[in-house]
Amino acid sequence: MSSRLQVDWTRCDAHGLCARLLPDQVTLDPWGFPVLDGAPLPDARVRDARRAAQACPALALRLSRT
Amino acid sequence: MTVLDHRAVTHPTVRWLGVPHLLAGTAEGPVGRDRHRELHGPLTLPTRAELRRDVARARLRGRGGAAFPVYRKLDSLPDHGAHAVVVNGSESEPASHKDRVLMRLAPHLVVDGALGVAHALGAARVVVAVHDVEAGHAMARAVAGRPDAAHVEVVAAEGGFVAGEARALLNGLSGVAPLPDGRRTLPTTRGLDARPTFVSNAETFAQLGLLVTDGLDRMLATGTAEEPGTTLVTLLGSVDHPGVVEVPHGIALADLLGHERTPVLVGGYHGSWVAGAGDAVLDRDALATAGTPWGAGVLARLGPDTCALGEVQRVVAWLAARSAGQCGPCVFGLPAVADAVADVVRGGGPTAVTRVRTLVGLVDGRGACAHPDGTSRFVGSALRTLSGEVEVHAAHGGCGRPVLGQLPLDGGAR
Repeated sequence: MSSRLQVDWTRCDAHGLCARLLPDQVTLDPWGFPVLDGAPLPDARVRDARRAAQACPALALRLSRT
Repeated sequence: MTVLDHRAVTHPTVRWLGVPHLLAGTAEGPVGRDRHRELHGPLTLPTRAELRRDVARARLRGRGGAAFPVYRKLDSLPDHGAHAVVVNGSESEPASHKDRVLMRLAPHLVVDGALGVAHALGAARVVVAVHDVEAGHAMARAVAGRPDAAHVEVVAAEGGFVAGEARALLNGLSGVAPLPDGRRTLPTTRGLDARPTFVSNAETFAQLGLLVTDGLDRMLATGTAEEPGTTLVTLLGSVDHPGVVEVPHGIALADLLGHERTPVLVGGYHGSWVAGAGDAVLDRDALATAGTPWGAGVLARLGPDTCALGEVQRVVAWLAARSAGQCGPCVFGLPAVADAVADVVRGGGPTAVTRVRTLVGLVDGRGACAHPDGTSRFVGSALRTLSGEVEVHAAHGGCGRPVLGQLPLDGGAR
């Protein structure tokens, strides 16, 4: 089972918190919206990713398990 | 302000190569109820198993653009069937006219298809959503004249490009904003009234109408083994006969477009540019593999007398303004793409092209619907196909030709 980050684009308001909390997984585009690498998260980062998803002010960041 | 004058109602001119199926009898104008029955025979309401078997053998795919196999859509519905059957007649792709023309000329075929599917799935609601006013009237008249269609609702669909996307349409019909959801939930799970729904494009329903009247064998006698039957094409731009044409699958695109090597757009404004028709044939799998998906069946050729890059820029600016405004990368990214394309037209050369490519890469796949993805495909393929034009513009600040506006933007006319 692997975990990936997903963005609900209809909710994201470019607060940018996710890029601060997960600098290795999330960068920001020129308008401040997250760019995800789309790769499965390394196990060691899943906890931080879950926290980042919970911290998203717009509830736009999600962690999906496949 | 648009002043509506009192024009005589004119019927669209249509053509066909080979024997028309969908457009049978339309040479004399719209096909009424009695004439429809003479042409196609009685409506035989199928069971779910019968319908599933026939659409699988006919290899019928959705005609709205995604070409999803209809039997798979049926299979993904619950065992107890569907709550609703929705005919998506919004045809929000401005380059496409085939659905509105079909609904104006052969509305009973669409009704037959919808009734057949609704019977097979035990659907309580049957809704036909139409944006084009004439087509809406034609569908409403057809339904009003049929006792077997008394429960069919014909409703006006919202305008706007993204509002025609299936999930956006269903949201609009369910009484919420006509926008795609952030979570990609399929209508077969959560559609009209948040219940399982079979939704497909108007031409798909007309094809289903052929299956439940003329029958499977007639469809299998035309087209190819991989894709039996016919399809509707909207031909645009610098072609001998612009308008809607019904053709059997498997014909050469050059039979529709001619052999000249001037830029050709395949699929519509979410489609792809190629240098000419070449030896491509109308085969949805082959076209998709070649990177030029058939989409909603639009083929456009630019003439030698118009500025090709300028034509592209005009459409890109229009597409950028059609964002539903929900998703940041689309809201901010598409106007930036449009600006960068304008730089290329002004002669920005390789630097401007690189900027377009970077921006296109940034918007692709980053939205709730496929609008950014489709726009990226349109722009990316245009720059590849028109690389010679880009050089001419870079060397001279333009190509010396005017932008004639050969690609329609408002969805009106014709």
